[in-house]
This record gives sequence, structure tokens and C-alpha cells, in this order.
Amino acid sequence: MPKRIVDWLDLRLGIRDILEQNLTKYLLPRNINIWYTLGAVLLTLFALQFATGILLLIYYQPSPQEAFSSVQRIMNEIPYGWLLRNLHAVGSNLIVAVLLLHMLSALFMGSYKRPRELTWVSGFLLLNLSLGLCLTGYLLPWSQLSFWATTIATDAAGAIPLLGADLVGFLRGGTAVGEDTLGRFFALHVMGFPLLFGLLVAFHLFCVRRTGVSKPPFGPDYTPPKEHDRFHHEHHPGGIPFFPHYMAKEAGVISFFLALLVAITFFAPGLFIPPTANIPADPFVTPPGIKPEWYFLWAYQVLKIFPSELMGLAVQVVAMTLLALLPFIDRSPERRPARRPLFVALFICGIAIFVGLSIWGYFS
Amino acid sequence: MGSRRLFLTTALGAIGAVLAFAAGWPVWRYLSPMEEPGEEERIALDREDVPLGVAHFFRFRGQPAVVLQSSPGVYYAFSAICTHLGCIVQWLPEQREFLCPCHAGRFSPDGRVLSGPPPRPLDSLPVTVVDNRLLIG
Amino acid sequence: MIHILGRTWGLLLFLLFLPTDVSAQQNQDETVCIQCHGGIPGAIGAPVRQWQGSIHQRHGVLCFHCHGGDPTDFGLAHSPERGFLGAPGDEDVPKFCGRCHVGVTEDYFESAHGQALGAGGPNCVTCHGSHAVQRATSELINPQDCTRCHEYGRAEEIKNAIAGTEAFISSLEGDVAALHRLGIDTSRLEGSIFSVRNEFRRLFHSVDVERVRNETDNFQQQLGVIAGQVEALQAELARRKVWGGAVVVLLILAGVLSLLLYKSYMEGKEG
Repeated sequence: MPKRIVDWLDLRLGIRDILEQNLTKYLLPRNINIWYTLGAVLLTLFALQFATGILLLIYYQPSPQEAFSSVQRIMNEIPYGWLLRNLHAVGSNLIVAVLLLHMLSALFMGSYKRPRELTWVSGFLLLNLSLGLCLTGYLLPWSQLSFWATTIATDAAGAIPLLGADLVGFLRGGTAVGEDTLGRFFALHVMGFPLLFGLLVAFHLFCVRRTGVSKPPFGPDYTPPKEHDRFHHEHHPGGIPFFPHYMAKEAGVISFFLALLVAITFFAPGLFIPPTANIPADPFVTPPGIKPEWYFLWAYQVLKIFPSELMGLAVQVVAMTLLALLPFIDRSPERRPARRPLFVALFICGIAIFVGLSIWGYFS
Repeated sequence: MGSRRLFLTTALGAIGAVLAFAAGWPVWRYLSPMEEPGEEERIALDREDVPLGVAHFFRFRGQPAVVLQSSPGVYYAFSAICTHLGCIVQWLPEQREFLCPCHAGRFSPDGRVLSGPPPRPLDSLPVTVVDNRLLIG
Repeated sequence: MIHILGRTWGLLLFLLFLPTDVSAQQNQDETVCIQCHGGIPGAIGAPVRQWQGSIHQRHGVLCFHCHGGDPTDFGLAHSPERGFLGAPGDEDVPKFCGRCHVGVTEDYFESAHGQALGAGGPNCVTCHGSHAVQRATSELINPQDCTRCHEYGRAEEIKNAIAGTEAFISSLEGDVAALHRLGIDTSRLEGSIFSVRNEFRRLFHSVDVERVRNETDNFQQQLGVIAGQVEALQAELARRKVWGGAVVVLLILAGVLSLLLYKSYMEGKEG
């Protein structure tokens, strides 16, 4: 029976050829390492966010009067609502962590370099879009945390000269965070960003598949690939098939990450959900000690270090723009870390600064 | 080699099936209609228990409730739980109002907030008069 | 290219940052009372500073809630027409506080404490303090404070009589707070505990040891019902953990098997 279905489809769409080309005859470098599985991990986690997100949408009510109580209802009355909600919240944090690892591995192995600049740039935009999803999603439960985190986050735009005040109003849809802020954040979180996100993921994967997987720059027999003037797909003759070989490895790593996700969801759901997330929003009472999520702590601390918010903001813009445009700045074809001491030094410094600022921000 | 691979894939398939069920079951339950709570229990009281101007307290679905005859033949029933912080309201016959002893929330005989911190009226319960009995719920 | 990227970045960036100082605290406290009194050194401004951090401040009970007056208008802030009461005299304190704390006041007036009001007996603030009032605990009954007026003996008896129930109430409050921390809707439980606590504290404001002893069973029973509900929730959470643990184990197992499978494919290829 399955064979007859495949035959039927094959006759019309030629799917056997597609499957072969992309699975069994799709060969990956022999020395491919575990870091290359993170893309598949991210796809799985994002799929899970989409699934849990759609399910949460069934009972969620996007209005200031209803939002908090609808989330309470999901957490307390709807069977297994607590599970879906906690998976969605913990999943978002795990995704940011894996995104960072994915980016760091691309940096360390120099795989952002020509001809993969577009893969890098689309990946970088995906990272930012994910952070945007995190931020917009934060407001939706309409808790004290939601309300004040959003107030403070949108307030930062006020530091921009001339446009600041208007921009804050534009982001909020009013002078203060309120019904209209919830409306626009909701629309962005469930429609705008996911739509853009899906398109960008498709483009990112297209880039990966079209240029071919980069060979890890390690081992004695690594030689830098030739520079081509015309489009060239990087083949890996004698490599390992994507299916079933590499997929088994990906399945393994995905399972471990899912185990981590489930473990946090069941045993430490409070890890990423501060106490103020359980109190309904009150525009008249600011809870003490509101801190951003761990992945924004560095930015929070940068703003604190500099004497003016504008300078802090500018430093962030410069840092992120440099990162976005890295493939156009660092143009040497060399990818072996051992032969890029300056880059590796900067790489380690960058991680140290990120971690240091985050810890500082956490304790300050 | 072949038998080892067969074992591994079979075991993985089995675990996958269990996990698929573990993922599917919550979703099924999440989407299934919930049983309507409440309809099942009604309480019948004798009309003699609730003379004019007297509030009668009783237990309704596990929570304190009160029924009051505010004018001849007009009955109001409420959950007796104050909507502020959950204390039990008292009936003050002279003032003809409910008072919550915790923070001085005052409610009228029909449950409206007269003063104090309660955010909304007392939760009202339907009362029907059948012969000599009051049916509540 | 650079320009477009920079701009995209800029826009996203504004969304991203959660900077620091919470500067919106003013909203709540921005009454003219605090604007004036807060800046005055000495006794006239002291109440504002004492009130900050008090249980009243944390629950949004502001100056005018007790003292009356118009909190939005400098000119009418002290106007009797706007209900300004000022500070009560010693003998008026119980009625002053009792406008909100109805129950305890009733029992207080019936107690030996209340009977002696005006004849050296204590009013509310003698034990609870005024502007800096904190959440009441049985620690308010202690040798230093009670012996300001009388011997500690009877006070100690009362304290011992309420100790068990008070400890039961605080342990329940702790359990419920832990449940709330996990996102459980505990408003009903909190309400029940609050109600029992309030009734119980009314009772011992009568400072009648016999009455406290006689009615303790009743309170213990009510608290037992609440404890049962708390335990049911805790049991549910423990059950969830068992299932979650099982799924974690299965996922780890699936991960190990997948990697073994990968290894077997790789060996097969080589062999």
C-alpha cells in the first residue's frame, strides 16, 4: 500500500527523485560534527512553538480585561493547558540558547564566509525575529511582568534624539502601554512575525541546500575550497548520506534537547517564569526589581554602564550591525581557527563580554 | 550488524509510538469539551426558613451562600464570599445591608457594592419559588 | 545593503531592550499629601517615610484613605468638607482604624484592653504601631511590649494558646505561596485562609484565654479543610512530575538509541 501511494505520487511529481537527491544521495562531509545538528534542533523546537502557540491561541483572549484570566484558565482549568503553556514559555528560552550556540558554531568554523553570506545574514535576521517574538509574546499574558517589561522596553526608544517620544508612542499605540499595545503585539506575535519567520527559514534552508554544506575546517586533510567566480554547489564526494546516517545523529541530538525541554517544563518551570508573571498587570503599581530575560541582560547592563541611554543604545546598534555585516568585513577565505588567531581572540572576548555583562546585569 | 540495526530501529519505533501518544493525549484532552460544572446540584430550602428581612446562610456547592427575603416574596441568593478577599459577609438587619467584617465592604440587599474595597457585586445565584420551597441553583 | 540592514536592525533594536530604572513608581504615590509632607523634615514629614514599606503602602492604602481630605488638590487637602479628619486622639484610634478593620475592633471593644480605653488601656497603635504598620504576627505579643502596661503572664498564655493555630496558618500560607509561584490559581485558597485568619485574630483580640482555647478546635478544623485542598494540589503536582520524569527518560533513551544507530550506520559504511 505505501508503495502504491509513492508510485502514484512519483508518476505525477517525481518524488522518488526528489527524495533521493535530498536524502540518500545528499552527501555531507565525512568529518561533519555535532554542531551541524543544531539547525535541525531549532527546526524541531520552532515547530513545537508553532504547535503549542496555535493550541494556546484557542483559549487565549487578547484584551486587557480577559488576557490574564484567560491564561489563568489555561493554566488551571483547561486539561493540560499548564503543560502547553509551560512548554511554550520554556521552549522560547531554550530556542534562544540554541540559536546562540548555532551562531557561535558558524562563527568559530568561519562558515559565514563567501559564498555563504546570505545564509549568515538570513540567520542573523532570524535571531532578531526570534527575539522579537520573545518580546511580543512577553506582553500577552498581561501580568505585572508583561506590563512593566514592555513599558521599560518601549521606553528605551525614547532615548533617540528628536524622534524618541513619537517612536515610543508608535510602538505602544498610545502614550502608555495599554489595550492598543496588546493589540499590536498580539498581531505581531501570532501573525506578523511568524509569517516573516517562515519565509526567512525557507530562504535560510534554501541557501544552505543551494550552496552545499560547508566542510568543517578541521583535520589534517582539510584544504580550503577554491574560490569560484560563478555559482558553484559544494559537493562532498565520498561523504555520508543525509539519510539515514546523519538523520540518525540529528534525531539523537534532538531527543536530548527535547529531554532538556521536558525536564525544565516539569521540574523547574519557574526557572524562566519570574514570580511577577503570576500577578495581573496593574498600571499603577510597579513591582520592585523587574529584570529582563537572561538573553537581554547584556543589553540592559550596557544601557546602565554608559552615562546616557543614547550612548548605550548606539553601542548596541554598532555591535549588532558589525555582527550582521561580519561576512562583508572579514573577507579572507581562511576558515581554520588555528590560522585565525585574531578572530579567535575576538570570538572568545566577545563571549566573555556577553557572559560578563549578563552576570553583571543579573546581580546589579 | 543487520539484526542490531533492526533491534535499534524497532526500539526507536516503539519509544516513538509511546512518545507520540504522550504528546497526543494531552492535546486531545485539551481540545475536548469540558464538562459543564454546576448544573448538577440544586438546593431546596423551606420558605419558612427565610422570613422577611432575614438572611439565611447555607452551604452551596461546597461554598457558603446566603438567601434573603428583601421584600415580601422577593428573594435574592448570593455566594456569601466577599469579592474583595474572600471573607464571609454578614447580614445587618437594621441597616438592611451586607457587611464584610474584614475591610468593611458593604453590599445592598441585591448584592451591589455600596462602599469599601470589593471590586464587584456579590456573585448572585438563581432562586426559584416552587410551592413552599425555594430552589437555589 | 549596509544601510538597509542597519535600519532593520535599528527598528528591531528598539523592540529589544529592557533597560533599567523603574521610573514609574510615582503613579501610585503621587498625591499632594506626599508631595508636601514627603519633603518636610522632622515630625510633619516622618509619617510619609514610616508609611513607605508598610503593609498599607504595599496594599495601596494611601494617606487620604484614613485621614480623609482631597489628595488631588493642594488647597482642599486639609478641608473638612472633603472629609479631612487629621490625626485621631488616643481614644479615637480604635474607631479610626475600625472603619476598615471592623471585626477585630468589635472584639477589641469587648475585651479588657478595649474596656480600659481612656483609663490607660492600649489602643490599636500601642501594639501595632501607626504609619509603619507591618503584617501582624504573634510576635507582637512579647515581654518587652506587654510589660509596658502589665505582667507578661496572661499575655504569654494567650500567645501559647494561639501558637499552634498561628503556625498552621503560616505554614498553609507558605504552601499556597509556593503553589502560586508555579502559576496555580490560588486566589480562592488565599481567600479562605485570609478569612479564617481574620476570624481567628478577631477571636484573640478578645484577650480571653478560655474563649481562645474553646474555639481553637473549630479553627483547626476549618484550616484542615483548606490543608486538604492544598495537599490535593501538591499531590497533583507530584503526579505530573512522575509522568514528566518518564517522558524525560524515554527521550534520553531515544537519543542514545539514535546515536547507536548512527554509529552502526557509520561502521557499516566503513566495514
